[in-house]
Amino acid sequence: MIRLSGRFRSSLIIGGQGIRARKMRTFLSMISLFLGVLAVVTVQAGSVIAQRALLSDIEISQGKDGTLQMYLPSNPQAVPITMDLIQGREDVAGVTTGKAIIGEPGVKPINEGGGPLDGNGGAYRGPMMTCDASGQCRELEDPNEGAPSGQAIELSMKAVTGDILQFRPFRLESGDWLDSSSTPSLSPRIVLNTKAAEGFAKYKIPAEMRVEGALANTTPRIIGVVNDGSWGPAAYIRSDELLNWMPVDSLSDPRYGGSMELMLAPSTTADLQQTLKSRLTAAGMNPDELHVRTINSLKEMQSQLSLMRWIFLGMAALVLLIGVAGILNVGLATVGERIEEFALRRAVGTPRLLLAGIVLAETLLTGLLTAAAAIGFGAAALKAVSMVLGSREPFLQNVAFPWEAGVAGVLAGLIAGILGGLIPAIRAARIPIATVMRA
Amino acid sequence: MTPLISITGLTKTLKGQGEPRTILAGADLTLHSGESIAILGRSGSGKSTLLSLIGLFDRADGGQYLLNGNDITRIPERKAAALRSEEFGFVFQRFFLLKHLSAVQNVSMALVNGQGWLPRRKRKAKAMEALERVGIGHLAKHKPPRLSGGEQQRVAIARALVRDPKILLADEPTGALDTETGNLVVEALRSATDRGCGLILVTHDHDHAAKMGKVMQLTNGVFENSNQRVVV
Ligand SMILES: Nc1ncnc2c1ncn2[C@@H]1O[C@H](COP(=O)(O)OP(=O)(O)OP(=O)(O)O)[C@@H](O)[C@H]1O
Ligand SMILES: [Mg+2]
Repeated sequence: MIRLSGRFRSSLIIGGQGIRARKMRTFLSMISLFLGVLAVVTVQAGSVIAQRALLSDIEISQGKDGTLQMYLPSNPQAVPITMDLIQGREDVAGVTTGKAIIGEPGVKPINEGGGPLDGNGGAYRGPMMTCDASGQCRELEDPNEGAPSGQAIELSMKAVTGDILQFRPFRLESGDWLDSSSTPSLSPRIVLNTKAAEGFAKYKIPAEMRVEGALANTTPRIIGVVNDGSWGPAAYIRSDELLNWMPVDSLSDPRYGGSMELMLAPSTTADLQQTLKSRLTAAGMNPDELHVRTINSLKEMQSQLSLMRWIFLGMAALVLLIGVAGILNVGLATVGERIEEFALRRAVGTPRLLLAGIVLAETLLTGLLTAAAAIGFGAAALKAVSMVLGSREPFLQNVAFPWEAGVAGVLAGLIAGILGGLIPAIRAARIPIATVMRA
Repeated sequence: MTPLISITGLTKTLKGQGEPRTILAGADLTLHSGESIAILGRSGSGKSTLLSLIGLFDRADGGQYLLNGNDITRIPERKAAALRSEEFGFVFQRFFLLKHLSAVQNVSMALVNGQGWLPRRKRKAKAMEALERVGIGHLAKHKPPRLSGGEQQRVAIARALVRDPKILLADEPTGALDTETGNLVVEALRSATDRGCGLILVTHDHDHAAKMGKVMQLTNGVFENSNQRVVV
């Protein structure tokens, strides 16, 4: 025990003396390695952050991987049949998309057509079209024909049945999400997406809601704002609350843009799908239009991203290689210089394995210290960037330093240390004392 | 009494670039505690080679080497390192001081060799004591480039003495020094034998050799007139 710790402490002293004797060289070799490790850390951190940003948006807008997705055909029967079937099931959620205008009554909305609100309204201004399954399209009459323009926003009205958040983890920005456990209220509660909320704030919209196909206009209660990853303004509403104002077959009326998207958990039994398909077919729908697809966008995205990451990592590895060459160069140059020191240390009784270990440890320590410095620098820089640019780029807000980058940096330092130290260590162990010390 | 060192018929063949050459062809030598031996011989006669075998820098090809009565002719390197640390002190013609360390650090580096452990304060005390013994305690903080050759060699002797070795091996320690400084250095080495240390001094200087208890002449890898006093 004492022997071991004596060895260990001796190594620390000898290694420390070695590093201190060559401060300048050690420092210079550290610089190139520092840059190499920094390159690896940057690539790794950058790709992890980019991946995180992209993937979380993908989950929100496309759905989690494995989710089964089904679009119902535009048929007045489709929604009532489906709603009846999925009522009370926890593993299925449905969303119908329609149109609504919120704001001053009887005016043309600012963004006619429901386009994004940023810029100059950005809206599509041509005639509105609808197409049926056979591919025949016709022009819809403009419901706002002749109306004066005013303060109102057109948005997609998404009526939700079931727990949609399990498939699309929208980020709640403020307030609450729709509470589906309470009894449906006669004054519908809606949750805006961020795009809609921005529009409301920007144009000071008074709140009356005109839902296409509804029997009367109503005053909505906005209870929250979510980020749903979509570009245009949208509002979410409980379908049962909407149905207080609107007959159920309007939900799938093509005139109101009505279509229904059904999301099923991967565990959903096949007989639900079967029952649904047979009932829809019985109602006259074409079975070819009833197909279920599995969402895989995350996986697809990941493979693309990882290819990019490998390319960048390859470039970073090249930079790292230069750093390793630097350390190796210094290591080899100093072995020549240090031959006498090594021979002397062995002459006074230092075991050769210990000496080799010390020489290896010196470069390893240099490598790891450098890596630590580069990682610390990278983390600090990331924090600074996130603080300065975070307000402009939301995905840079509160980014944590990815641990993968830390691991990559440490590995790089370790590899550089081993490569740069091994040859000098082997040479240190092989020095023939008799030859060096001969007079 | 068991001699410190008892060597019989030691042989060593070295192969350099060309043909293998027999450097030692059966050397015999006995060293007792407190005894000092000078080894004389022409350049290339094998003096340094013999010393490197005795000091366990290298191993002999044949013959027998007893240290304190134990056969160590074919000792493995790991044990040899421990013996170098415990039993031997070395002084070389070139001083082999580490130039980035001060005199006292150069001495205590022999105590930091992974064989046993002394705390910093004890190391420093021992190193200072060794420097005092060779008369240069006042130069403890100086680094080698600021010391004269004689002073550097005495730092090296202090380094050899700091572990209280039983055997001192010195290979032409005065080779790079003027006569007067050389005398100082030889005296520093010889005085170690007063405390029971055995000393082997390789030298070309007959005056220095005469100060040893015994002088041996190495010619063509064997000792002439072994065990005879050479009167100069
Ligand atoms: N590594 C080696 N390989 C081959 N031959 C060697 C080697 N080292 C030394 N020799 C040869 O061995 C012989 C003895 O060398 P050694 O150094 O022991 O002589 P020496 O008596 O110490 O000489 P000097 O008085 O000049 O120091 C020399 O002829 C030398 O050329
Ligand atoms: Mg010699």
